[in-house]
Amino acid sequence: MIWSKEETLPRGQMEQLQLGKLKESVRYIYDRVAPYRAKMDAAGVKPEDIRELSDLQKLPYTVKADFRDNYPMGMFAVAPGELVRFHASSGTTGKPTVVGYTRKDLDVWLDNVARIACMGGASKDDIAQISFGYGTFTGALGLHGGLERIGASVIPMSSGNSKKQMLFMQDIGTTLLVATPSYALHLGEEVREAGLDPEKDLKLRIGLFGGEGMTEPMRAEMQKIWGKGFFCTQNYGMSELCGPGVSGECEALTGMHVNEDWFIPEIIDPATGQVLPEGQSGELVITCLGKEALPLMRYRTGDLTKLDYAPCPCGRTTVRMANLFGRADDMLVIRGVNVFPTQIEEVLLGVPEIGPHYHITVERIEYLDMMTIAVELIDDRLLDSYGQLDELEKRIQKRMHDVLGLATKIKLVAPHSLQRFEGKAKRVTDLRKDGL
Amino acid sequence: MGETMISQVSIFVDNRPGSLWEVTQILGEEGINIRAVAAYDTPEFGILRMVVDQVASAKDVLTRRGFVVRITEVVGAELVDEKGSLGRMLEALAKGGVNVNYIYSFVIRGGKAPVMVFHTDDNEKACAILGEAKIRVVEAGEL
Repeated sequence: MIWSKEETLPRGQMEQLQLGKLKESVRYIYDRVAPYRAKMDAAGVKPEDIRELSDLQKLPYTVKADFRDNYPMGMFAVAPGELVRFHASSGTTGKPTVVGYTRKDLDVWLDNVARIACMGGASKDDIAQISFGYGTFTGALGLHGGLERIGASVIPMSSGNSKKQMLFMQDIGTTLLVATPSYALHLGEEVREAGLDPEKDLKLRIGLFGGEGMTEPMRAEMQKIWGKGFFCTQNYGMSELCGPGVSGECEALTGMHVNEDWFIPEIIDPATGQVLPEGQSGELVITCLGKEALPLMRYRTGDLTKLDYAPCPCGRTTVRMANLFGRADDMLVIRGVNVFPTQIEEVLLGVPEIGPHYHITVERIEYLDMMTIAVELIDDRLLDSYGQLDELEKRIQKRMHDVLGLATKIKLVAPHSLQRFEGKAKRVTDLRKDGL
Repeated sequence: MGETMISQVSIFVDNRPGSLWEVTQILGEEGINIRAVAAYDTPEFGILRMVVDQVASAKDVLTRRGFVVRITEVVGAELVDEKGSLGRMLEALAKGGVNVNYIYSFVIRGGKAPVMVFHTDDNEKACAILGEAKIRVVEAGEL
């Protein structure tokens, strides 16, 4: 089912709609958001310079660092009294990226998520188990609201506690699972280990996955674990843009349809900032249309993909973005949580017993991500007992958890044993192959 | 009481092939003799504990070669070569309420009686207790 008529607009009408909204949004952000007005002034662009869609390219980019520099609410366009919701995601350093919503923003957001849910085959008859972590993360409440909007019933399960997940699946008859694809695989494994055959014992038929990319080998694995009748799609979004609801795969599995009446995508060369022609791979840049609390122009997502405007067999006319190829920066996605090495660095710099060098190794063990951070011990006072070294590891682990919201493993190594770099350091080894 | 203590060298080593050998090699090059050595089985790293004949130069050379090194005082007690000798030492410490954190023994002592190395939560008290129990505490200069 197609949720909104905007998803099938002919290209000309879509562009007309986008242009009208773009002009309004540029005027709106220029009048209300000082940091972006300063960027436009510096670039010599005025709102009235936007006369056609291609004029979008005259506008300066917005980057993640703008959120840090204007923390917490300097990028907001409305007074706090107009807001009805806050969410937050990882920042590049200790401070999170805070986002806000007006009542209209929430309404638009959840309607966009409703579209994504329908693209993935959900309907009002579904019982949806949300196995994303709740809290300030946009994923859980976004899918929660979008699924309720189409009339599905929602179990706000949160992540973890596999036994309870299984119990609800069996006893309530969950038909739809919302999770990161790696957690869905992990949970499926546990279901099988518990002696259940998902095809016979469960009613699960749909997976709506996000928070991290799903590779085709993962999708194939999904069917092996959850049964041949299980159909899963992935969707894309980030809290700065609204959360989930930016784009999602339809049943034709030809890429993720972008909700273009709210988001204009561009692909740029991440090194030069040049806009690339259709079909070429590069960094995804998104301009939000009609957003009230946090309008964003040309936001550099850091995600690498490409766009395809060819018609889709599903009937939607909206552009499709390919499964993400990777990142333009060094951000890692660990169990659906965005992690910047700079965040890790900041925590480590606050621990006097260790040196400034570190190395991160990411692996996937039983479908779950595990991050190990190797650090060099420099304080000889800890050599009196193993207990002191153990305490140091635990203390660093706790601080990492406070900042990243993730469990990590800390590995103490001898000084000078980690590789030193001249120029750009390579501090991450990612051993995850095809997401499995 | 301080001079009856033995200075022990503790070194942080990674658990990988050759990491202990590296330490002994460096000490060998400097002409430093290892008298006692202990390391325990841990998954990722270990603390190598040693009694050597030139404590200060051992710390100096190992630190220069990038190791984390700690000097700690430990108690050395001479074992009499008869049944239950170690047991008597431990019994005396236990009854005196001293907790032994770790214990190991000398590898070379040139024909003299073997020496056990103790690290306890109260080394001075341990020396006193061993003395009262007529167990000979070895002084640093004797090694």
